[in-house]
Amino acid sequence: MNKYLLIFISFFTFSCANESDPEADKSNFVRIYDSDRYNASFNPIDMQQTPDGGYLFLGSRRLEESNFSGAYLMKVDEFGAFVSEQLIDEEYLNPVGDLLFLNDKYYFFCMAAVSFQTQLVEVDTDGSIVEVYNVGGSYPTAAALDGSNFILLGYDNGSKESVVSIVNETGGVLQATGYSVGAGDAVEEPIINHFLRTGRQFPFQVGKTSGGQYFYNGFYNYTFSLVFTDLGGAGLGVIQGQQDDGGISRLIQLNGNTYATARFNFGDNYFLPNATLSTSGISSSTDLGGFSLPELVPNAPVKILVSNINEKDVILYTSNTKSGQIGIYIYDQSTGEFLGSKYLGFSNPFEVNSIINTNDEGIAIGATTYVTGRFPRITLFKLSTEELSAIF
Amino acid sequence: MRRLLLLTAFIIICSTIYAQSQRKPPAGFKKKAKQQQNSFLDKQWWIGLKVGPNLTKASPETRYSVLTPTNYALPLTDKRYDGFKKLGSQATLEITFDYKGIGFSFQPTYRLSRFTYTNEFMWDNPENAAEMLQLKYDHELKLDYADLPFIVKYDITGNTLRPYIQGGVFYSMLINANKTVEISGTDFASGGTNELSSEPVIVGAKDLFHKSYWGLMAGAGLHYNLGNVRLVFDASYRIGMSNVTDTKNRFSNDRLSGIGDALDDMKINNIVLSIGCLFPMRFLSTSFKSIDR
Repeated sequence: MNKYLLIFISFFTFSCANESDPEADKSNFVRIYDSDRYNASFNPIDMQQTPDGGYLFLGSRRLEESNFSGAYLMKVDEFGAFVSEQLIDEEYLNPVGDLLFLNDKYYFFCMAAVSFQTQLVEVDTDGSIVEVYNVGGSYPTAAALDGSNFILLGYDNGSKESVVSIVNETGGVLQATGYSVGAGDAVEEPIINHFLRTGRQFPFQVGKTSGGQYFYNGFYNYTFSLVFTDLGGAGLGVIQGQQDDGGISRLIQLNGNTYATARFNFGDNYFLPNATLSTSGISSSTDLGGFSLPELVPNAPVKILVSNINEKDVILYTSNTKSGQIGIYIYDQSTGEFLGSKYLGFSNPFEVNSIINTNDEGIAIGATTYVTGRFPRITLFKLSTEELSAIF
Repeated sequence: MRRLLLLTAFIIICSTIYAQSQRKPPAGFKKKAKQQQNSFLDKQWWIGLKVGPNLTKASPETRYSVLTPTNYALPLTDKRYDGFKKLGSQATLEITFDYKGIGFSFQPTYRLSRFTYTNEFMWDNPENAAEMLQLKYDHELKLDYADLPFIVKYDITGNTLRPYIQGGVFYSMLINANKTVEISGTDFASGGTNELSSEPVIVGAKDLFHKSYWGLMAGAGLHYNLGNVRLVFDASYRIGMSNVTDTKNRFSNDRLSGIGDALDDMKINNIVLSIGCLFPMRFLSTSFKSIDR
């Protein structure tokens, strides 16, 4: 009799056990970070998971007194709960990603309000500003890590050049090489409109390949192009777009000349999860082909992440759909085969800004949503490895 | 449709009661029955149907919200729950074994419970009073459960009208869940006072709730012996003892996350009222007489 009673009690206990689960709360959540200010506007640019398991956001905010966006830092904990924010002084404008982690500090580039000179901002893991270094140069557009230094892509409106610089952690410029965007005001107009956010937002990117070659995705010779360079006298490899109507949206090197990339062309969007790119000579992005994604917004921003799901090496593409959702598209890294997709968001529109792997083998997506359809606010999607595994 | 079925069941039960009560016992039966009562009526099986309304109150344990404030207090995002406001309903099959006034009852029940909560948000600009938006989100949850209660009843007196008390434990399995969200508010920023309202957002919410929970119950009621059958009026209070929210799927519904909603961890309590009638499974004689003292 006692045995049956024990079985009965055990059945009740285990079948109904559903108490708060901190691990589940950490691994899977959605947070929209809201300000009650009607005229406030926040957009994430990049984020990093901090050593304490929380997340540090670099964002931009609308300024009343400037055509440029202001800089914003926000720290949240591992559950996504808000910890702190920094409305960075309006002296520093136009923050750009990536948010770079080097020697236990985070760094990002922005520009000074009056001089438009590039600044390097050092931030601790709590999201507090430690130091601001003057870099020189102007109009930063993208940045990446290069060992213990940074690679910076900027635009010099004096010489009308895209400038790739190697910058150390105290803002010293170790090397800088300019590439002409072409003569005349016409070519400069879309670049300036990008900064003022009055025109198309171009997918500027800079980085270094495993073979030691640098690349930047920006303007070169009247065209938005992907340029491979050694920053010296050797010849360039250029994959041209269609002036400012086409080009590469994003790329990640897989190995050698194989890249996971995406391109846009007169509003259309294409994913190329396993593309061989020519890193020398001149070629055209339109010759690369790719999978057409008609559900995406015209000239969609694309973020690409190499990850591992279900013990399979995969490439995650994220982008913005015409229905206001964030699409996640997963491809097999070795074959480029499409594995599955998932869509995030509903009701209010969502736009992707960044995607990272997290230390619990899940992913986190930084996004913008428009609360009540009108207030731009930073959003964090945390997806567990179980939820990702369910995609394919 | 469900209400029609309940009504039909109720009419059938009432007609049966009436028919049973019209039966006249045959001559000489009473004496014989009296002799048998003491030994026979100590035990009886009853089976029958009960229906009635219920009211539900959700008690939040841990608060959750998609909308996370950066410049206002977190408790302002807390949901305000309405207690015992929305009428639900249930239908119960009762199987009771009576032994000397103590009943051991198993009462599988199909129960629809409803409860509501609201959140309110406001966005304004201290430098421009015209820039203000107030929104109110009214949430209603409809939960269908299959309850499996095991109850012990005790008859306080042994007359035709028998009050009783009862207590027990129940295990509830989720059958379905739906959620309706209505958004209303006032927009002062569009050049005037613009009253906003939207079509309700109705979403399936079964994944948001745990597949089962358990609880304790206590209550009281009345048995009224009418003819061969027993009418029952029953009131009980059910206390949920485990969390009804699925902790792993809290944020899984994009439509709800999109409007800033995530379910709290919560337990639900019910006030359950039922009326019905029970039929005996054992009879004193071949004339189908079962009435006791």
